[in-house]
Amino acid sequence: MKFLPLIWSGIWRKPGRTILIFLQVGVAFALFGVLQGLKTGVQHAVDAARADLLIVHSRLSLIMEGLPISLLGPIRSVPGVGVAIPVELFVCHYQKPEQGVLSVAVTSDKDWTTAFTFAIAPQDLDAFAKSRTAALVLEATAKKYGWKVGDRIPLICRTVQKNGSPNWTFEVVGTFTDSDFGGGGDKIIMSFPYYDEARATGRGTVNHINVSVTDPNLAVPVAEAIDRLSANSSHETKTESIRELAQQQVQQIGDFDFLIRAVVSAVLAALLFAIASMMVQSVHERTSELAVLKTIGFTDRAVFMLILAEALSVCILAGAFGLALATAALPIAARVVTGLSMPKITLAIGLGFAVLVALISAAVPALLAARLRVSTALAER
Amino acid sequence: MNFLRQSTALLRLNLGGLAARSGAVLTILIGVTCAVGVLISMLAMGTGAHRQALGDVRDDVAVVVSRGSSDLDSSVSRDQATTVADLPGISLGSDGKPLIGYQSVVIMEGHRRGTGARVFFPLIGTSPSVTAMRPEIHFTEGRMFQPGLHELVASNPCVRTFTGFELGAERDVRGIGWSVVGHFDQGNSMQCQVLADVETLMTVFGRNAFTNVSVELKSPRDFDAFRAALEANPALNLEARRERDQVEGRFKGFKALLNFAAYFVGAIMAVGATLGAVNSLYSIVDARRRELATLRAIGFGSGAIVAATLVESMLLALPGALLGAALAWIFFHGMAVSPFGFSFQLDVTPQLAEIGIVWALAMGLAGGLLPALRAARVPVTTALRAT
Repeated sequence: MKFLPLIWSGIWRKPGRTILIFLQVGVAFALFGVLQGLKTGVQHAVDAARADLLIVHSRLSLIMEGLPISLLGPIRSVPGVGVAIPVELFVCHYQKPEQGVLSVAVTSDKDWTTAFTFAIAPQDLDAFAKSRTAALVLEATAKKYGWKVGDRIPLICRTVQKNGSPNWTFEVVGTFTDSDFGGGGDKIIMSFPYYDEARATGRGTVNHINVSVTDPNLAVPVAEAIDRLSANSSHETKTESIRELAQQQVQQIGDFDFLIRAVVSAVLAALLFAIASMMVQSVHERTSELAVLKTIGFTDRAVFMLILAEALSVCILAGAFGLALATAALPIAARVVTGLSMPKITLAIGLGFAVLVALISAAVPALLAARLRVSTALAER
Repeated sequence: MNFLRQSTALLRLNLGGLAARSGAVLTILIGVTCAVGVLISMLAMGTGAHRQALGDVRDDVAVVVSRGSSDLDSSVSRDQATTVADLPGISLGSDGKPLIGYQSVVIMEGHRRGTGARVFFPLIGTSPSVTAMRPEIHFTEGRMFQPGLHELVASNPCVRTFTGFELGAERDVRGIGWSVVGHFDQGNSMQCQVLADVETLMTVFGRNAFTNVSVELKSPRDFDAFRAALEANPALNLEARRERDQVEGRFKGFKALLNFAAYFVGAIMAVGATLGAVNSLYSIVDARRRELATLRAIGFGSGAIVAATLVESMLLALPGALLGAALAWIFFHGMAVSPFGFSFQLDVTPQLAEIGIVWALAMGLAGGLLPALRAARVPVTTALRAT
């Protein structure tokens, strides 16, 4: 403890230099934090995705090919199936083609929300079930366009109505939030029966069917049983949990892991060198001071530890500062990719790296300081 | 003139003394190398993907899609397609018929070799005459599909990346077995592409409309006339796009994402490298205090000192840029990656090296500014008295 003032004065011997090093280490660890946060955060989000929510889709594609709605009955009678809800996704835009809004058409059967990742207030659910042209709006979307409950919003959709018009009007009855992996983007929920009746083509087909299972452990056998229903038919299905889908999405990102590792190594390599060279410089400048310390009884070992402690304090503080910056920045990135977070393990790994960088880069200068010979050092003056 | 002579003399003096300050010089070099190397490597993804996507684009090919559609959601009915064939400007084949390709795109599922991970990719139904419009298609094995038969041909990247594309393999599409009868290379493209006969595919999928229609024009100049003729008929509700624009539009978001990531990471690393450079340059300048004070005393201007220090700092950053570009080229040029389902090779080009050099010079300039001012302000008397 008594060495603390000594370490402190060593750090602030040249305040300009220390602040620059501090910023450099901070910037490096902010980058480290953002990149690692992306990686671990995505893995985290995948693990958090529900394994008991199954999506039944065409074997040929996730959404491009439809399924006959007649599959719904047989699926509902598969043991272990909770609720099965037909879902149609179609792309609309609000006022301008750039302002895309995804429409999710669902039937509001009893407990239908258990087969989705949406969180909806009970009174909004009731209002939605009562009206055919009702729509629930994603909270972020409602905020973005200033839509309020009771508003009638006109959307232009790729699906045309029977009269040939691509214009659809919905009445906002409430809002919802979505915890789906990668579930960003503007979205509304509307009534499937209304949609199915009004659309010009494709009646009787759906994009996919959402199924909740009664027991999460049954997810795999239930999925297999559902796929057996349509085996060898012209509309074979593939049933997957949204966790599996999230996993595939992550695999698609593919080589990102390698990239992150390469960037992080480059950052740390540059950092090691910068700190080491600055510390060597600092030890050189302090030759006579260190010699005096040794004269009054400091051992070589104590001097070694002193230099190491200086590097450690700066690196750990700056590393913590950088990681804090990254943590503050991640919520902004999370707006684009839902589910990003900075798990504590990333922070721990980051601080671990900060310690490692400090130890490696300070080793040479600390050794120089420890090996300093008092007689020669003082004679130089 | 005097200013210039003083600056060059100072610069020569400065550079001569650098050998003794290897630690500071190496810090700048390594910092800039890492920052530029990372920036160039990441930008090389965008360049590589871009080159591959646009490498085989022809200026005399136009794509007809339904108005306002993005890519796969376009729909061109048979009637509309017949009307398109009568439009002016379309080049005629050796048989006297207009050169038109009808495409219908469906999505099919594949499995990666090794990992078994599932991927979706387009199965493109096309007219067998596609080889006339796409001379870059070159069969390495087998033959083209025959119209009316359930046959597929796959580009070689499919065979390498996915299972079940060997010659003679059967793939299940809509409950029907389709056999793979040919493998082809396709110019610059590393993308997996599977082709089948458009009519057969549409029958199997119960479709009545093409996804898009591509036409070969007599010359790229005929595009405007072709488009005007197409859009003169608003009832058609179709839109003509140059193939280049169509491909670029499909690609814009992806490239923007890659470039954003590259510049974001590159900028942060550049800030770090600049901070390191400031520190190193301060130590270099501090070591020269007596020298600088002497020069000031014998009449060197502070402007010349600032200029010489700034040029020195940029010259110190420059080798880092060259080294970074060289390392990026050695390690990453030609490396195959497939983020977000696109497959392409990284492409480190001279243009990217130029960007790297500009960044390095900017880092040198920004990093040298404060140390240069300090160098110019060295108080002559105290510095000379100091030991």
